[in-house]
Amino acid sequence: MKQERLEQLDKIREKAEYIFALAGNPNVGKSTIFNRITGMGVMTANYPGMTVELNIGMTEMDDLKIGIVDLPGTYALGAVSEDQMVARHGVLQGQPDVVIVILDANNLARNLYLLLQFLDLRCPVVAALNLVDQAERAGTHTDVELLAEFLGVPVVPTVGIRGDGLDELMHQALELARRREEYITIPFSYAADIETRVRKLARRIERKLEEFPYGLSPRALAILLLEDDEEFVAALEEEEGEGGELIAYCRQIADEIEKEHGEKAALIIARERHGIAGSVASNVQERREYDRPRLGERLWEYTTSFKTGIPILLVVMGLVFLAIFWGGGALADLFSRFWDSYIGGPLNQGIESLFGVNLLSQSLGWAVDGLGAVLEIALPYLLVFYIILGFMEDSGYLNSVAFLSDRSMHRLGLHGRAVIPLISAVGCNVPAVMGTRVLSTRRERVIACVLIVLVPCSARVAVIMGGVSRYVGWAPALLLFAILFVIVIAAGLFLNKVMPGESTGLVMEMFPFRRPSMANVLKKTWLRLKDFLYIAAPLIVAGSFVLGLLYESGWIFKLTQPLEPLAEWWLGIPAVALLALIFAFIRKELALALLVVLAAQVIPGVTESSTLLDFMSKGQIFTFALVCAIYIPCVATLAVLWRELGARDSLAITGSTVILALLLGGLSHLVLTLV
Amino acid sequence: MLTEKMEEYLEALFKLSCEEETLTPTRLSEYLGVTPPTVLDMLRRLEAEGFVRYAGVAKGSGKGKGEGRARRAISLTPKGQRAAKTLVRRHRLSERFLTDVLGLDWESAHREACRLEHVLSPEVEEKLAEMLGNPETCPHGYPIPDEKGHIKEEEKIKPLCDLRANEKRCIARVEEEEPQLLQYLASLGLLPDVDIEVKEVAPFGGPLLVKIGDTQYALGREVASKIYTKQGRGPRRRGQRRMGDARKR
Repeated sequence: MKQERLEQLDKIREKAEYIFALAGNPNVGKSTIFNRITGMGVMTANYPGMTVELNIGMTEMDDLKIGIVDLPGTYALGAVSEDQMVARHGVLQGQPDVVIVILDANNLARNLYLLLQFLDLRCPVVAALNLVDQAERAGTHTDVELLAEFLGVPVVPTVGIRGDGLDELMHQALELARRREEYITIPFSYAADIETRVRKLARRIERKLEEFPYGLSPRALAILLLEDDEEFVAALEEEEGEGGELIAYCRQIADEIEKEHGEKAALIIARERHGIAGSVASNVQERREYDRPRLGERLWEYTTSFKTGIPILLVVMGLVFLAIFWGGGALADLFSRFWDSYIGGPLNQGIESLFGVNLLSQSLGWAVDGLGAVLEIALPYLLVFYIILGFMEDSGYLNSVAFLSDRSMHRLGLHGRAVIPLISAVGCNVPAVMGTRVLSTRRERVIACVLIVLVPCSARVAVIMGGVSRYVGWAPALLLFAILFVIVIAAGLFLNKVMPGESTGLVMEMFPFRRPSMANVLKKTWLRLKDFLYIAAPLIVAGSFVLGLLYESGWIFKLTQPLEPLAEWWLGIPAVALLALIFAFIRKELALALLVVLAAQVIPGVTESSTLLDFMSKGQIFTFALVCAIYIPCVATLAVLWRELGARDSLAITGSTVILALLLGGLSHLVLTLV
Repeated sequence: MLTEKMEEYLEALFKLSCEEETLTPTRLSEYLGVTPPTVLDMLRRLEAEGFVRYAGVAKGSGKGKGEGRARRAISLTPKGQRAAKTLVRRHRLSERFLTDVLGLDWESAHREACRLEHVLSPEVEEKLAEMLGNPETCPHGYPIPDEKGHIKEEEKIKPLCDLRANEKRCIARVEEEEPQLLQYLASLGLLPDVDIEVKEVAPFGGPLLVKIGDTQYALGREVASKIYTKQGRGPRRRGQRRMGDARKR
């Protein structure tokens, strides 16, 4: 999969004159800048680890095609977790012409560490000092020219979200790419004793090696080896003769350093870099301290403090539910009235007058109803939900949630860091499964993936809200969410028990609240809706059409007959409804949409708002939504699971969710008939 | 009268006694890189001058005493303590001077200080301390005894997870069992001698919210238990130099 992306990079390289890579610490706004430059729509959020893959895009400047690679955020070019490995290989193997290092002006010293590493590797670097507006507001002023002078690289102040400074940034990067041949990156030199040793080792490397991995300079290699970098040490060990000797020499030098300083060479080098980064930052930045913590900070403290944080969390969750319930419901009413009077009716009449009454026109009628279901049921709830999700992501509240939940997550074999993919799974399971790459062990990733699959995604939320809360009531909808919550917890507890190993620790940078930009939230909402409108909506219409064909031709009874015992006897729902559930493997939104269409077509002539209730009882709708929420992840999720975890685990997850869904569905039926 | 060699021994004994419970000639010979007979020879001379107490080998021969001899330790007499502390004070003051004022790096400062400590007069020592503002620690973070030989009691080292909210301490060391974690923490700036402030401690074994420099991190208990902290603020350490040094081309 890594290879896949790198191949894609090679293709871009053929087309583009230059390739620029966007690198930086997590959550400094790389993807926002990437979107601005390329005009693409990569998901962004105010928490670390949103990007875990190389995003690749193109842009044009001065009639030149430029490939842009957005790397996952990383604190260093080490090899700790998989997302960091992706970033590292994006740079080392991707060989960009220019590395644009994006720095957070609020936290310059720590951010400079990575830039210094790039200088050590002698990559041509342009720095973007991002979030300067926020830093200035917080009282931190940066002397950009002085910073550029110290670093010896161009520095451009930027505000990614507004696009300020990005033209200049690209211009500087292009300038640098053009004179790449003559351009020399000058790394900082370390303290005399370290520097002498680095140079000694570099000279030895230069003499002994004929080829340098990734075309790195001897000094860069020397530093990497002293840092005990696994990949390079392993690469040298494979070399015949010379490699082993070099490693022995390197160990000797590292030992010398360790003996003198009482710390491992890798740590001494890290300390050196932090020292340089710290003194550069303190030389170029001036800060005004505020006596009182600002509102955002105080609010943030409330959300992370246990006493106030838990009530706030509960209130926020309640508000989100209410907003979807009221807002989605109101929009659904509005859309439904609009559809009935202006589109649905006329469209059906038009079809009938065009084709007459036959199988085709009848099936087309189903398709029209499918379109209606998209607009009336799925769209309103999704729209409201996506807007709320966008705000939550951009505010940075999830950081606080991760902190609060760390301990509970340990019980599930995870840690606080896993909360972020888990919550983003509420939007869509697919990126959430990819997001588990920020976790460091396979055990954690498997557990997280299982839980993610059980977290209702936006499509399932739409089914629950559009089906259960709209037709049955808010309390059963809430009960359904509670059941799902319990299932997630139980699954985590169970996996933590049965899987060998234990959870590792949480180390996560915490980001303060940022004021979400309405424009960005709307943009993200549109990106998510676009996916629904372009992929799910046509599928729903097509699915309705196929269902119509089957139904009107009578074939459907042959199909549903074998399902009858399972559906009617075990789950207590009509066999056709089970067919809709099977269709929903393609997209979960299909489940409810098809049900609504079925109801409208099978029992015609009743008033529009109660159609579903005439087709199925409240209890049946509840069971239906429950099964829909639990069984198999949709096909896209299955595909991504397969890629991340392999065939065995992904099929095991799929199989066990189906069994669980049927078990709970049957139980629900049993309880409902008894009550 | 103390010779330079004898002073070296006193200093070594003092430093070792700060770290370990029992001092043996073997340990001393390892530390100084000399042979045990040399050490024994010197110990006898120091004992004769009244700087150390050591029931030498010669007295303890014969059966049944071997055990006692093995446990027999060297200790500094009050006179020896005084002399050693003066030396340590001069050494560490010199180091401070060499790094802070002259801008020497860490190890060069140590080497130079090894020579200076033997030639500083009490007067120079006093002026040096005055000029440096009576520093409490050397660049490496060890305490400097004051002129009366008092050493500021070094606080116990506590793991980070035992701290309370709003406590400000300084990282003493990070457990080295997991090199990957160690390196990751190092890249974040969680290194020994870095100041750390605990902002929030979640109850029931929950995580800690800590502040380092401008950044806040959430650290799980199990990670925090691997980070040890000590009292006070981190000393100025290597790396924090003037910009000119690092930009030598």
